[in-house]
Amino acid sequence: MAQLFPEWSNRVPRLVLVGSVLLVTSIVFFFYHFGSHEYLEVGYAPKQPIDYSHRLHAGELGIDCRYCHGSVEVSAVASVPSTQTCMNCHAQVLPDSPKLALLHESWETGAPIEWVKVHDTPDYVKFDHSAHVNVGVGCASCHGRVDRMEVVMQAEPMNMAWCLDCHNNPGPNLRPVDQVTNMSWVAPKNQFELAAEIISKKNIAPPIYCNACHY
Amino acid sequence: MSTAQKNTYWRSLNELSQNDEYKQFVTREFQENATELTDGYSRRNFLQIMGASIALAGFAACRKPIQHILPYSKQPEHVVPGNPLYYASAMPFNGSVTGLLVETHEGRPTKVEGNDLHPDSLGGTSILHQAAILDLYDPDRSRNIMKGGESQSVESFVAFCAEFFTADKRVAVLSEATSSQTVARLKSSFTARFAKSTWVTYEPFGEENALLGTQTAFGKKRRAITHYDKANVVVSFDADFMSPGPDSVRASKLFAKARTVRSTDDTMNRLYVVESNYSLTGSNAEHRIRVKSSEVAQVVYALAAEVGAAGFEGYTNAYSSHDMLKAMAADLRAQNGAAAVLAGDDQPANVHAAVAAINVAIGAVGTGVTYSSLPFADETNQHAAFSTLMSDLKAGAYDALVIVGANPVYSAPADLDVKGALTAVGNVIHVATHMDETSAALGSNGWHVNRTHFLEAWGDGLSYTGAASVIQPMIQPLFGALSEIEVLNTVVTGTFTPGHDLVKQTWGTADWRQILHDGLRTGSAFGADAVRMSADAGQVIRDGATNAVVVDGIELVRKPDSKIFDGRFANNGWLMELPDPITKITWDNVALMSPATAARYGVEFPRASILRAPADEEPMVAITANGTTVELAIWVVPGHADDSITVYSGFGRTHSGRVGSGQGVDIRGLFASASPLFTSGTVSNSANTYSIASTQDHHSMEGRPFIREATLVAYKANPTFAPKMVKVPGPIDENGQAISLFNEQTFPEREPQWGMTIDLNACTGCGVCTIACQAENNIPVIGKSEVRRGREMHWIRVDRYFNGDVNGNPQIVHQPIPCMHCELAPCEQVCPVAATTHSDDGLNQMTYNRCIGTRYCSNNCPFKVRRFNFFNYPKTFLTEGTDPEVVQMAMNPDVTVRFRGVIEKCTYCVQRLSRAKIETKRQTDSLKPKDGTVKTACQQACPSDAIYFGDLTDNASVVAQTKRNERNYLLLEELNIRPRTSYMAKLRNPNDATA
Repeated sequence: MAQLFPEWSNRVPRLVLVGSVLLVTSIVFFFYHFGSHEYLEVGYAPKQPIDYSHRLHAGELGIDCRYCHGSVEVSAVASVPSTQTCMNCHAQVLPDSPKLALLHESWETGAPIEWVKVHDTPDYVKFDHSAHVNVGVGCASCHGRVDRMEVVMQAEPMNMAWCLDCHNNPGPNLRPVDQVTNMSWVAPKNQFELAAEIISKKNIAPPIYCNACHY
Repeated sequence: MSTAQKNTYWRSLNELSQNDEYKQFVTREFQENATELTDGYSRRNFLQIMGASIALAGFAACRKPIQHILPYSKQPEHVVPGNPLYYASAMPFNGSVTGLLVETHEGRPTKVEGNDLHPDSLGGTSILHQAAILDLYDPDRSRNIMKGGESQSVESFVAFCAEFFTADKRVAVLSEATSSQTVARLKSSFTARFAKSTWVTYEPFGEENALLGTQTAFGKKRRAITHYDKANVVVSFDADFMSPGPDSVRASKLFAKARTVRSTDDTMNRLYVVESNYSLTGSNAEHRIRVKSSEVAQVVYALAAEVGAAGFEGYTNAYSSHDMLKAMAADLRAQNGAAAVLAGDDQPANVHAAVAAINVAIGAVGTGVTYSSLPFADETNQHAAFSTLMSDLKAGAYDALVIVGANPVYSAPADLDVKGALTAVGNVIHVATHMDETSAALGSNGWHVNRTHFLEAWGDGLSYTGAASVIQPMIQPLFGALSEIEVLNTVVTGTFTPGHDLVKQTWGTADWRQILHDGLRTGSAFGADAVRMSADAGQVIRDGATNAVVVDGIELVRKPDSKIFDGRFANNGWLMELPDPITKITWDNVALMSPATAARYGVEFPRASILRAPADEEPMVAITANGTTVELAIWVVPGHADDSITVYSGFGRTHSGRVGSGQGVDIRGLFASASPLFTSGTVSNSANTYSIASTQDHHSMEGRPFIREATLVAYKANPTFAPKMVKVPGPIDENGQAISLFNEQTFPEREPQWGMTIDLNACTGCGVCTIACQAENNIPVIGKSEVRRGREMHWIRVDRYFNGDVNGNPQIVHQPIPCMHCELAPCEQVCPVAATTHSDDGLNQMTYNRCIGTRYCSNNCPFKVRRFNFFNYPKTFLTEGTDPEVVQMAMNPDVTVRFRGVIEKCTYCVQRLSRAKIETKRQTDSLKPKDGTVKTACQQACPSDAIYFGDLTDNASVVAQTKRNERNYLLLEELNIRPRTSYMAKLRNPNDATA
């Protein structure tokens, strides 16, 4: 009686074993990498209804963040400026530009401009801007160099691990409160001492319990 | 803890008898079938009134759904996105307004609080105020002006009014009770304008009888205002002043204030209640006499004779020899005027007159009670005027009828034939928020004008004590509705004027901004009239007493429902699902009777011997009176008067909306206009049974010593009776705490540390904490059949315990139970995914996004405060239906809307704590908010200040002081779970003379 299984079939169990280890590893890696915030979120730069350039306004013109995002120091949300804020300048500057047609339409009709949310945390996450900017966490620490972005793009993964990195060790991301909106601020050589001073002065003890953000 | 007391407190007759049904029920954490999806969506679709989340789109793409930010085009002044604003307003109800503060998020009202500056709110609210938000966003509200089934524009309505209402017309107005100054102004121009006019005020449960009573006694309609803070002894004859009403908030505040005991040096007031049905007020009484409603008057007259009231010399009746009566009379006389006697609004006018005579006799007028004339009162008898109007309308005496707010086709006694009167007159304008029974009964010439909610229209009014208040809108009318003053003005002038201008014309411009800021003209109040009884009045009252009717045999008593009142709030899911304070019944009305009376209809005690109904169904009785028969489920209330059956009105609506329509039974037909409060009737067994959703056995803590109470005298003898009732076993560590086997999840070095104290002595059991919590925390309504499965979602429940002889007159104690935030929380030990853990500031936190729904925590919670989302309620209610956007607007944006399959529970309003901490940190670099700056929703709403909350690390904080009080005790202290919520034992102040 001939052999039922050819000789190479002896190698099958080994191959299956190695193969499944490789398969499982690659599946895990696949989701770990392609499902991560670093892959999915960082670099997200949706098209906005108006081609607003932060590089021009915040960078070249040097307008302070708070001119438009006015509630950042007193509210949970930084707020997107009302049409009126834009019109403070654009009633005079480039009033006839076709790129600003939507803006003028909004001003005349009262209909809001539908900006696309870029930095979007889930609804069960309560992030409060005022709690951060008032103790010396810079805008750029989370939002990146917005002053260099033609189109606003998400610069950081903004997942929970990333939040906790700073909540566990806020030192590297602290700066004097008056430098919070300074996009080009660089940590000085004595950042460690500077941070320690801010932490004690501002009584900083970032909460790491669940209810700090989830409720 | 003595065994004796342990067995004394019971929540239901089943528990008292410890029968099989009860034992089966409580041994299951989740009731039978609780996890099965047997209940289709059809049952709950009508609950679309509930809840919303901001984003619920699918997961079609890897990236989460795109969201948009819509900034203002022109940003309104003062609006800071993300931060709420508070505006003063007032809620009109039953002829009075109560001052409120309304929280708005970007122009969207989301929560109602009391106005500290307002003398009739004093910072507190009632369930009706809290639930007003849901009424505003009721998608069943009428959206159009309708005439003969066709929708009409505002312009065509105004054009009709201009053309029709010429000066030669004969016009009648049927108005709900209102104290609005603008309405009063329009009323006088209305009367002046038309050839023949009449204005009748109609309220199914108004104060007309009380006013007629004072008219008899003092010659003029006057409102009796009770000063609970100045009365050492209060006697209530069927007056349920704590249940939601025009005066309930102020009454609860001041009453609780007079009962506050902080040390053995303090004194407290004493309350006597004479009533048939066990009312909320009765449950807070020291002494309660249960008599039939028709006999309450007899007790009043006997008391009048006992205290020597004018006209009652030598009067006696069956109650004159009642032992309690003599003690009560002596107690009243001994107070030198620091006492008050009051009678229920529905009691006959002569009872009110006799009560006035008693108040005069005991010298309470000017101290415990004052009498004030009302600027809007009409001296004619409005009951008589209403029935005259109905017959006049049928006789063709009027060309048109304008109905403002009232729903007489549903609520008026059937023998008045309101429907026939509407058909006869034809030209009817009905101003109503819903297409209700009255609007539906209009003929082809009838106009239904959709009415604004008070949160979206300008208005004004006087509070119960006369504070002139402004009703300020929070939002533009959602459905383009008109307010009552706009409609009345259009009828009178033929032109449309916005409500703001009308109110402004009434008020003038002086101090307008300050008035809007405060919500009232500071200092305005009714004056206390110097009243005296005329010589004849006493005789008239006595003649009335002699002729008073007492129902022989079974009497039927009609009462407004404790939540939906006369049915006007029937479409409010929050109120419908709030357990009744005494019966704990949701969604239904029943026939309430005493155990002895129920025994006549085959319901015997204990429940195990009920023969006529299956285990979870109630037997029914057929009640016949006035030619109408209704069938109602029997509900046994220990302490109810024998031979008396109480039925609640407001149910059985046909045109209420998807929540209210078809719920319960309409009992209106039983009562004729001649005797609206009580009537005789025949009652017989019915073969039918009915299922009731009562929560009284839900979340049972099975007889453990949760309630601790003592008399004031006993407390003074033994101030620490409450904490000493339980001995904590085992060794004690260096902090005086019992040693724990578990890791202590406490961070005492962190500040603040939150804690709560609930004063059982102040709590009246009204349930406003439950509704306030529901409004604040986006808690869904789940429907009757789900409640029957024990799935109700309320984060704070009010447990009601009976104590005493089930067949006699047992006492009641109410106990609100939120999450205890145990320092060594049993729930935390068993969560397999660490979804419930401890926060640095001492909260037992629930992390929804971690929860996988094992429900181990709920099983292990000894207080049964955890709630499970068996369905994705938000998705059903907030994204389906005709316009979910309307319902979404009721949601608090600061609180996550929970998904199916997660546990939720009281958070101590962590969103408020978080906001307060961030705000304090921003201003002072400290994380410790000052005492009193942060309040939980239940605490803020409580009209009797029974809940204290704050930072335990601050020794001066009120909550820390209450924790040090000798009456402070912990629930289940012997388990060493160290709850952060503690209780202050209840005290009663009985009259020794009755012992």
